[in-house]
Amino acid sequence: MVFEQEEEPAPGAVHGHRLSTVVPSSVTGEVDYALADADLAFKLHYLRGAYYYPAGDVARGITTKVLKDPMFPWLDDYFPVAGRVRRAEEAEAEGRARRPYIKCNDCGVRIVEAKCNRDMDDWLRDGAPGRLTQLCYDKVLGPELFFSPLLYVQITNFKCGGLALGFSWAHLIGDVASAATCFNKWAQILSGKKPEVTVLTPENKPLQGQSQAGAAAPRCVKQVGPIEDLWIVPAGRDMACYSFHVTEATLKKLQQQGRHAAAAGTFELVSALLWQTVARIRGDVQAVTVVKHDAAARSGRALANEMKVGYVEASGSSPAKTDVAELAALLAKGVVDETAAVAAFPGDVLVYGGAHLTLVDMERVDVYGLEIKGQRPVHVEYGMDGVGEEGAVLVQPNADGRGRVVTAVFPKDEVQSLRAALGSALQVA
Amino acid sequence: MASMSSPPKGLMAVCRRVVNNIVAVVAVPLAAAALVAVARFGPEELAGRLRVARPVHLFLAAFLPAAAVTVYLMLRPRAVYLVDYACFRTASNCRVPFSTFLEHAKQLPVLNERSIRFMTKLLERSGLGEETCLPPAHHYIPTYKYCTIDAARGEVDLVVFSALDDLFAKTGISPDAIDILVVNCSLFCPTPSFVDMIINRYKLRSDVRSMHLSGMGCSAGLISVGLARNLLQVAPKGTHALVVSTETITPNYYVGSERAMLLPNCLFRIGGAAALLSNSPAKARFRLKHVVRTLTGAQDSAYTCVFQEEDDKGNVGINLSKDLMTIAGNALKANITAIGPLVLPASEQLLFALSFIARKVLSGKFKPYIPDFRTAFEHFCIHAGGRAVIDELQRSLNLSDEQVEASRMALHRFGNTSSSSLWYELAYIEAKGRMRKGDRVWMIGFGSGFKCNSAAWECIEPAANAEGPWATSIHRYPVDIPDVLKH
Repeated sequence: MVFEQEEEPAPGAVHGHRLSTVVPSSVTGEVDYALADADLAFKLHYLRGAYYYPAGDVARGITTKVLKDPMFPWLDDYFPVAGRVRRAEEAEAEGRARRPYIKCNDCGVRIVEAKCNRDMDDWLRDGAPGRLTQLCYDKVLGPELFFSPLLYVQITNFKCGGLALGFSWAHLIGDVASAATCFNKWAQILSGKKPEVTVLTPENKPLQGQSQAGAAAPRCVKQVGPIEDLWIVPAGRDMACYSFHVTEATLKKLQQQGRHAAAAGTFELVSALLWQTVARIRGDVQAVTVVKHDAAARSGRALANEMKVGYVEASGSSPAKTDVAELAALLAKGVVDETAAVAAFPGDVLVYGGAHLTLVDMERVDVYGLEIKGQRPVHVEYGMDGVGEEGAVLVQPNADGRGRVVTAVFPKDEVQSLRAALGSALQVA
Repeated sequence: MASMSSPPKGLMAVCRRVVNNIVAVVAVPLAAAALVAVARFGPEELAGRLRVARPVHLFLAAFLPAAAVTVYLMLRPRAVYLVDYACFRTASNCRVPFSTFLEHAKQLPVLNERSIRFMTKLLERSGLGEETCLPPAHHYIPTYKYCTIDAARGEVDLVVFSALDDLFAKTGISPDAIDILVVNCSLFCPTPSFVDMIINRYKLRSDVRSMHLSGMGCSAGLISVGLARNLLQVAPKGTHALVVSTETITPNYYVGSERAMLLPNCLFRIGGAAALLSNSPAKARFRLKHVVRTLTGAQDSAYTCVFQEEDDKGNVGINLSKDLMTIAGNALKANITAIGPLVLPASEQLLFALSFIARKVLSGKFKPYIPDFRTAFEHFCIHAGGRAVIDELQRSLNLSDEQVEASRMALHRFGNTSSSSLWYELAYIEAKGRMRKGDRVWMIGFGSGFKCNSAAWECIEPAANAEGPWATSIHRYPVDIPDVLKH
């Protein structure tokens, strides 16, 4: 057995990856988890969430074992997350691929341990696009679905002692609200608190009402495929996640600009700003897809894809020339909801960045609740993999709750122009 | 015996009773006759005879028997007792389900499709459950990269030290009261040795008599017990011996694709046990009656059937030969022949002897008589080496499903834990509440060599509760183990 010489890591890169697996602490048994139509609509997308914890006494005491041990009982509650995707024995209808479901075989969650030779503050200050990919293990489901984990957790240790947790979550098993709640529950077990009961009932009914085969896809999504066993958007341009802050001051300015008195919320204002900026870069963006988290519409299931999906069309005037406030008002009132149609559509679709630029509302997702031994993260950013070329924008709360963190998932070659345009927009606006 | 007409059952039972107690049956009437003869003399004649006898003769008549009895009692080897034992309680954070094991194996570039299919088939039929455990280093991908000496010591810390902590707590004994320490661990021999690790950790005395038995295979648990027994038999009363049986899995991952050598990777799991033996019956729970060791290494086929070697590519692993079961069967027969006379009641031995003679004289007409070991033992602990081993032994010893239940369930719950499996099985029987005072237990271990070792115990006091490695799972057992595990 010969060990190859380890290559010298590129300066500042994340290196030294060690992979291991964590499984549920007790035997789940012969259980299958049915995937709802809404779940399958999102199967080509992957959430990438990074949580940053500062250097200090708390971070020093956090070893891999401390982080891993609570995962075993955590996965007892969330056993579908530890399962693997399989296809049903028989196809539901002629010509259709056999329906995927999750076999809860306790195969487990992949844990990645890595190091970075930079200080966390430097890393954050740089604002380099693509840093999310370094902190969240870059894998998708397939080509062997049998052996593809649904969740990767990467633990990156910075030179200064700071710690970053990167979650790579298959959108298939739940939306960003489900994912954030799932991770928070793990942190609660770590702190010794007893988390709320995880509700996985009522069970997903596999077939909820399919639309006619051959019907066109809903306007807010783009039909792709057919996708075989490698669940990633077909090769197009390289995408990168670029995160930046929108300060409280900027938000106030945006709000005061509007002639329409406070009709739009923060999400609408920020998204409208992005819409306008992107429209100016690209020439024009007539319509956008909006994905919103609606707490009232949630069923209470711990793992579910229940975000509202719809589109907004800028009728008449070009968004590049429209006021941010007007666009915001349009986003607030003019969303055409297509959630049910997207779920019912039988083909494979790209929701994020498929048909149009996609705006994702994460305002009420509690990402800062992931406290490790009482330490709140200083920064959290959620990006996405498997986004189509039109791009996606995720609007999230920031650490103090007053500003916002925006992650833009765009083709790599567009990120620089976006950065430049935003630079001026955020100063002036 | 099947070809003879069967006499009525009552008559057979009476015959058995008579033969089993032949000494009493002969001695009691003789003693009665002697007493009657002496009584006929009458007291005066007896007194007269005594007065006439010379004092020297009287003195000798009294002294010699007394002296003989005293010398016999003093030179008799001391009885050896088991004070208590403790097994490593597997932690849920070491659990490796079937699917995870396969997924990890798939990530190894050295294993091809054929090897993976072989391992899958093997695991499906192995009788192992979904709760067996591997050491922390084996949860990494790829496994072999992290199997360092540090990781192996970590495994010892996890397995052996926790079992020892349990044992010291159970028995209330302090580590500096340990006089003898015997450890058996086949494949991990660090410097300083295993016993030094324990001495260092528990601050044992500087005059503790310690030995590490390495390389002796899965039957080494009983070899250690045998060695401790020999030392206790000639030690002053009140000597304590600590016996630790374990197998360290971390350094032994086979990184090749030779199928016969992949078997140990699939079946071996972490486990360890510590037992406190003593030569005084104070607070003892079992008495050790016999230890019988049979070594068949003189035959080449037995010597090479479990063989550590390098495969074509230079990877070290343990090669299991195809006729392992046959060799095990032969070793077992040899061991039974040795232990039979020590434990079987006289009636069974007589039957076996008669059948043996009959087969020799009237060759071919009689099936070999398998002595009914249920007359000698209430409980059986058969090394959980694999499903095939237990099946083979059940067949050859004519045991019922309930008697091999402890072995099958230990294999299901803990996997093949090598030399400590016998202790897990004993713990199962006690956790199920089946042990009674006076019950006799037969432990049979098999291992490379090829060795077959037996120990016979008698229960003095059963366990007070189900505390131990089975505490969290005993209520789920026994389980029905399918022929092929669905996954």
